[in-house]
This record gives sequence, C-alpha cells and structure tokens, in this order.
Amino acid sequence: MTPINISLLVFMIGLYGVTSKNNLIKKIMGLTIMNGSIVLFFISIGFRETGLAPILEKGTTSGISTTILVDPLPQALMLTAIVIGISVTALALALVVKIYAKYKTLDIQQLSKER
Amino acid sequence: MSIHIPILIIISPLLAAFLVLFTRKHKIILATVSIIASIVFTLTLSSQVLSGDKIIYHLGGWRGPIGISLVVDGLSFFFSLITLGLGLLVIIYSIPERRYGRTYYFLLLISLSSMIGVIYTADIFNMYVFYELLSLAVYLLIAYPKTGVTLRASFNYLIMGGVGLSFFLLGVGFLYAMTGTLDIFHIAERLPAAFNSSTRMVLMSIVLIVTGMGIKIAVFPLHGWLPDAHSMAPSPVSALLSGVTVKIGIYCLIRVVYTVFSTEIFLLIGSHNILMVLGVVSLLFGASMALAQKDLKRLLAYSTINQLGIVLIGLGIGTELGLTGALFHVLNHAIMKSTLFFCAGIMIAETGTREVQGLNGFSRQQPVITFAFVIASLGMIGIPPINGFASKWLICLAAVEAGYTFLVVIILTASAIAAAYYFRVIQVLFSGPLKQDPMHAHEGGQVIHGGNLFRSWPIYILAAACLLLGLIPTLGISLVKPAVSLLLFHVVP
Repeated sequence: MTPINISLLVFMIGLYGVTSKNNLIKKIMGLTIMNGSIVLFFISIGFRETGLAPILEKGTTSGISTTILVDPLPQALMLTAIVIGISVTALALALVVKIYAKYKTLDIQQLSKER
Repeated sequence: MSIHIPILIIISPLLAAFLVLFTRKHKIILATVSIIASIVFTLTLSSQVLSGDKIIYHLGGWRGPIGISLVVDGLSFFFSLITLGLGLLVIIYSIPERRYGRTYYFLLLISLSSMIGVIYTADIFNMYVFYELLSLAVYLLIAYPKTGVTLRASFNYLIMGGVGLSFFLLGVGFLYAMTGTLDIFHIAERLPAAFNSSTRMVLMSIVLIVTGMGIKIAVFPLHGWLPDAHSMAPSPVSALLSGVTVKIGIYCLIRVVYTVFSTEIFLLIGSHNILMVLGVVSLLFGASMALAQKDLKRLLAYSTINQLGIVLIGLGIGTELGLTGALFHVLNHAIMKSTLFFCAGIMIAETGTREVQGLNGFSRQQPVITFAFVIASLGMIGIPPINGFASKWLICLAAVEAGYTFLVVIILTASAIAAAYYFRVIQVLFSGPLKQDPMHAHEGGQVIHGGNLFRSWPIYILAAACLLLGLIPTLGISLVKPAVSLLLFHVVP
C-alpha cells in the first residue's frame, strides 16, 4: 500500500460519505475527508524517502544533488488548498445553521419533502 | 502601463469589490465603472489578439514554469468578453432592486473578477483556486434572499460543486505527478512523453478532470444541482449563472482537453466519443424535462442543460467547423439565456407568480419585453433569422461532414421538443386577459415596474444582439476564428 493508493482509498470513502449519507453534517464531513485525501495525495507525490529539505546555502550546492531533495511545491500548494477547504466547510456549516433554523431538521429526505 | 493590462482586467473589479463594502451611496457607480474599465482594458488588447497574437504576462516578473503567468489568446479573449459584457448588464439590471445591498455587489464583483482569473491564468492550480473563489461567491449569491428554498439550493450546489472541484484537483495532482510542472503549456509539451510511459495515469487524470468539470457544466447524470440553483436564485443572478458561470466550466474543459491533452491524445483515447454521448444524453434529457415543467424559471434552467448538450456535441465532433459552431453557440446561448432570465424576472415581478399559466395576457401589459422574450426563445429553438440558428446549423454541418448524420437527427428532435415548450410559454403570454392581483407580488420585496429604464435596456440590448448575430453571423464567427485556429493548429506565439 503506497501512500498514493491510501489517499485514493480515503478519497473514495469521502465520496461515499457525500453521496450516500442523508445527514447534512455527514455530507460536509465527507467533503472534508475528500479534501484531506487530496492533501495526502499531493504530499506523497513530493515525498522522497531520506530526502532533504530543499534549502541550499551559498557554496554548499556542489556536494548535494537535487535528486535527494524533497519537492517543496506540493506542500506550498496544499497550504492554499487547506485554506480553501476550510472556507468551503465554514460556508457549508453556516448554510446548515440557517437551514436548521428554518426547517428544524438536518435530514435531506425530509428537507426535500418541504416546500 | 500597457504591459500590465492583463492583470489590470482582473484587479479592477477585485479592488472595486472591497471598496464597495465601505460606501453606501456610490456602490452601483463603483461597480459599473470598474467593469467598464475592465471592458475597455480588454478591448485595447483586441487588435493584437484577433490578429492571432498571444499576450503573456508574468506575474511579479517571474518567468515560465516557476512563476504564474496570465495568457490572453483568442480563446481566453473570447470568453472574457462574454463574461464582462454580461456582467455589466447584470449589474445594470440589478440597480432598481433596492434590497440588494453592499454585499450583493461585493459578491457579484468578486465572482466576475475570479471568472476572468480562471480564464486568463496559465497555471492549472491557480485555475482551481480562482474557480473555488468563484464558486464560493456564487453559492452566496444563490442564497442571497435567505429563503428556505434558496438555502437548500445553495447547499446542494455547494456539495456537488465541492465534489466536482475535488475531482478536478485530484486530476491536477496526477498531471503534476507525471510532468512535474503546473504551467498549462509546459504540461502540454511534456505530456506526450508521459503518455507513452504511463498511459493509465494520463487516462486517470482525463477522467477526473472531465468528471469534475462535468459536474460544473451539469451534463446529464451530474446535473442535480442546476435546476434548483438556477431557478431559485434572484433573476439577475440566474442570468449570470446560466449565461456566464456555466460557460467557465466549458472554458476549463476546452482548455484542458484541447490545450493540455493535445487533440491527438484525445482522439487516441476516444474521449471525443464520450463528450458526444454526454452531449446527446443531456440534450435529450434537458429537452424532455423542460417540457414537463410548470415553473417558468425551472423550464429555462432545464433548457440550459439542453443547450449545453449541443455545445458538448460540437466539442466532441472536434473538427474546425464543429469547434466554430460550439464556441459560437456558447456566445449565442449566453446572450439568449440571459435575455430570457431577465424577461422572466420582470414577468415574475409583474404577475407575482412563477407558474407559466399565471402569465396570461402579459403581452398586453409589456409588449416590448414580450417581443424580446419571443426573439430569444425563437433563437433557442433555432429558427432562421435569430442567432441560435446560425450556430446550430454550423454544428449540424460539422456532424454531417464528419459522418455523424444521426447527430443531426437528434439535434433536430431536441429542437422540436424545445419548440414545444417555448411555444407553450409564448402562447400563454399572448392569450387571455391578465389576472389582476398585483398585491400578491414578488419574492418579499416591493413591486418593481418592468418599464423601468435599468430593467428594460439590458433586455433591449441583448435582444438586438440576438438579431444582429442572427442576421450577420460572420460577426460572431470572426470573433471565434482565432480561438479555433489556436486550438486546432497551435498557432505559436
């Protein structure tokens, strides 16, 4: 099981949660799990076993080959993706609060019956 | 100064969005001026872009694959022009509605600015970030009236849209794993080598990205959010959603399919057949569902699924004629559908009902608005002097040329169904006396007279554009030509 396979498995778990759960909060949890799995996926792309942090000082570049450095770009990307994920979750929860105040239920089956 | 124009087009609405939050009186002027400024900036690039040039702007002076660059070429110029033009009309149309406060204009400007961002950026992760920003603004715009239905529609869209963008991001991850770069043009250079060594990864990323964008475009099995979101949102927002926001998904699909995965890889896998099948299915599904609707705006929303099916068929055919038709239909559909939603907004405000049956005799009350509605719906059906005919004709020609004659039959069948549901509305508009109960009007606000200057002029302009593009289709085709030659023959900068 490589980390990439695990992240895809987690992605599927999240997708299952979003598509088949009836509770709105559980749907949001599924979305968050999907987001988390993508973070794992990107980080494992950049990961190298026994890799070094990609910090090069002046004069020391000659001894280190770039092949043993960890790729820093996915980590930087994931910082952005995490922030976006949090904003989506926050908005979703805010909507859920409003929906609950209006209908007094979080069940999507009952909500779809309401007009 | 002139070097920095691409970024100024994005910055101008973004800056205005935050300034709008601090003013009470000048919010409308500020919003309008910023969009007009963006349009002027875009037009200054027009001569350069339409002659086949490509303008590349490096953000912060960082070149190539390291920095993010903005690219204005035929395709992005065409889409940004649609976005800004309709955005301006949507802002003008919302002026008379007093319950739209500062946050409304803030969200509108943010969404327009991030749409331009999605269109111009050449960095595929940056595209995702702008798309997420756009989606957040749009979710809030749908929920703006804060009634129960809008909240539910917005939540549904949020969940579906969130899943779609997650798929897109995972696809981007696969692309990065294979090529080690995020710049669209660099990925395109390195992908053929990656395709030979790891075909399955390429397939996976295509599947993920097309599925993700499929949710945003609302192709048939993934369309669940669209009818609610487009019909329950306030009318100007519906026009923006149906006319522009969905087109951004189409843009991303075209960019990814034709620029990132070059046409050769795409044909090799046979994905154009998939696009065609998706197009046919959503075409027929949208048409038949629209036939069953009683609610006017819901009917228009299903008609959007129908028309996007035609665009997908054109993209799937993939010849020069097919692409020209598809892009021209994007422009035409944007114009026609926003006309229809603007008219529907006035009809709902005046008659106080969303039901098609409640519109009895509206033509006597508002003859000009009704005329505009009739023009746009004839265009939707595809009746000759209106613009919808020109693009449908191009797509049908392309289908025959490429040997898919059955597609013509399907498009004509769907057009016949479209005729059935639009003529039903038109017939109601012209028949019987008006039901007089103006008191029970409107979704919670005061009644706004449809003859209002700001409400009616956008409709007149759009209806005139429908006729103009229908009578002189070469106008639209000349706008589309640079984009098509860029996609198919890779005219290098």
